[in-house]
Amino acid sequence: MSQGGGLWGPIWLTLQLAGMTTLILLLVATPIAWWLANTRARIRPMIEALTALPLVLPPTVLGFYLLILMSPTSAIGGFWVRLTGEALTFSFTGLVIASIFYSLPFAVQPLQAAFQSVGRGMMEAAATLGASRLDAFRSVALPLARRGVLTAAVLSFAHTVGEFGVVLMVGGNIPGSTRVISIEIYSAVETLDYRTAHVLSGGLLVFSFIVLTIVYITNQRGVRAGV
Amino acid sequence: MSDSVASDVLAVDLQITYSDFALDVAADIPLTGITALSGASGSGKTTLLRAIAGLERHAKGQVSFAGQDWTNLPAAARGVGYVFQDARLFPHLDVAGNLAYGAKRRATPAAQITAVIDALDLGPLLHRVPATLSGGETRRVALGRALASGPRILLMDEPLTGLDRARKADLMPYIARAVASFDVPALYVTHSAAEISFLADRTLNIADGQLTGWSPAVPRLIGQVVDTAPGQVELAIAGTHIWLPGHGAIDQVWTIPLGQNYLISADPPGMSNAALTLQATIDQADPGSGTLTVQIAGQHLHLPWRRLDGGVPPAGSPLWLSLPNLAARPIHTELHITDSP
Repeated sequence: MSQGGGLWGPIWLTLQLAGMTTLILLLVATPIAWWLANTRARIRPMIEALTALPLVLPPTVLGFYLLILMSPTSAIGGFWVRLTGEALTFSFTGLVIASIFYSLPFAVQPLQAAFQSVGRGMMEAAATLGASRLDAFRSVALPLARRGVLTAAVLSFAHTVGEFGVVLMVGGNIPGSTRVISIEIYSAVETLDYRTAHVLSGGLLVFSFIVLTIVYITNQRGVRAGV
Repeated sequence: MSDSVASDVLAVDLQITYSDFALDVAADIPLTGITALSGASGSGKTTLLRAIAGLERHAKGQVSFAGQDWTNLPAAARGVGYVFQDARLFPHLDVAGNLAYGAKRRATPAAQITAVIDALDLGPLLHRVPATLSGGETRRVALGRALASGPRILLMDEPLTGLDRARKADLMPYIARAVASFDVPALYVTHSAAEISFLADRTLNIADGQLTGWSPAVPRLIGQVVDTAPGQVELAIAGTHIWLPGHGAIDQVWTIPLGQNYLISADPPGMSNAALTLQATIDQADPGSGTLTVQIAGQHLHLPWRRLDGGVPPAGSPLWLSLPNLAARPIHTELHITDSP
């Protein structure tokens, strides 16, 4: 049963998880989104479908496969145990990895849309002015796609904060390590601690509303500015 | 083709095949003055320009610039200044930022950037963002951005498309001035007779993806700047002195392209509203082709004289050339010796 002070543990853990996931996701999703926005390769639809899978799969399905992949008896999970001496499953690191997969479409899709709207023409203009591809990406594509980057970051963060099924499958319910806000709410309700459930649920509701409002305001400004 | 004088030509021998279009061209393009690349829309002129810039990934063949092989050089390393038809200014940078983009990457001397800003009157625009610029201003900034990168050749893809006639007439002298004062050769894609007439030192014609030959510059008078005033130059041209709007320096070589807009008569026109009337002598008269070769103060011009009765005035007789209005531009010094390749 959680007391007032005990609320901060899950909140802090959730923020850590969402922050780290967002940071890594931006690094991982940017090259994927850039490739998807610019390629004419035949396998593009398949890669797009793959990155979008977490949108439609029940989190329990995703969590189930991740659990199997990360378990110490699997190749990947076993390798991690030999490398670090600890199991990925039911650990904070495992949660971060699971969250990256779970929130991938929320980072890739806004970035891809933003990169597509930058267009080939701007990159060509940069090239004729002496910019290498990486230079042009950094100095032209990224600044022009900044709203997409912001949207991707905010949505990834918010979506990770709100995850439940994947966390439960992969991380379980370990205080200080995997017990995030959504799990804490579930436990609170199970133990009839409605006060805790109310505080955390209400908090998440307000947080999500504010985050989405920020995203829509950002996009609206972009439309008005014509950028 | 390119074994003649490879050092001062842009030698292209390019093939590009798309499902619905094929380009197959070979030409040695002189690296002086402005070469117009002219053809109907869909003839492949933009594709050729893009291939020269290194922007057409499917181009096969060879491109060499002044003897340097460009075939496998990426666009960023070719050192071209490309003026896109749709300008493509960077919307997240102000005008100064757009000018600095290529200048920084190619280490253009500050003095040249200042000269570009002056030549194109960009000073008042420096802190504006592209979204707030008018059509004409946008084109000037696009040209300035290309010039500020210190290009070895200027590639312009219909840079005046979409502007009204008055705006085009305003901008053409800017282009001429920029090309002449930075001594950079230019390849200028257009299908406008007015632009060819005023700007082109020669024209390469293209149709259906094939080059169909060269045309020389339109008949034109060549003179020299003898005096300047703000916004005006005094030209010594065809035995007379005349003040014209423009920006130039003393001793610069200028031309008055005749275009299609002039009148020739075998009798003195007397009082008229022509801006300039010059007396000439007929060197040769060819009734068959209806062409006169006339001499005006030592300059020879080939002018058509087409009449329904086929009559031409005899050689040796005087002739008067009247220009209803005057437009002049600076040209590259060597061009008054050789007008066409």
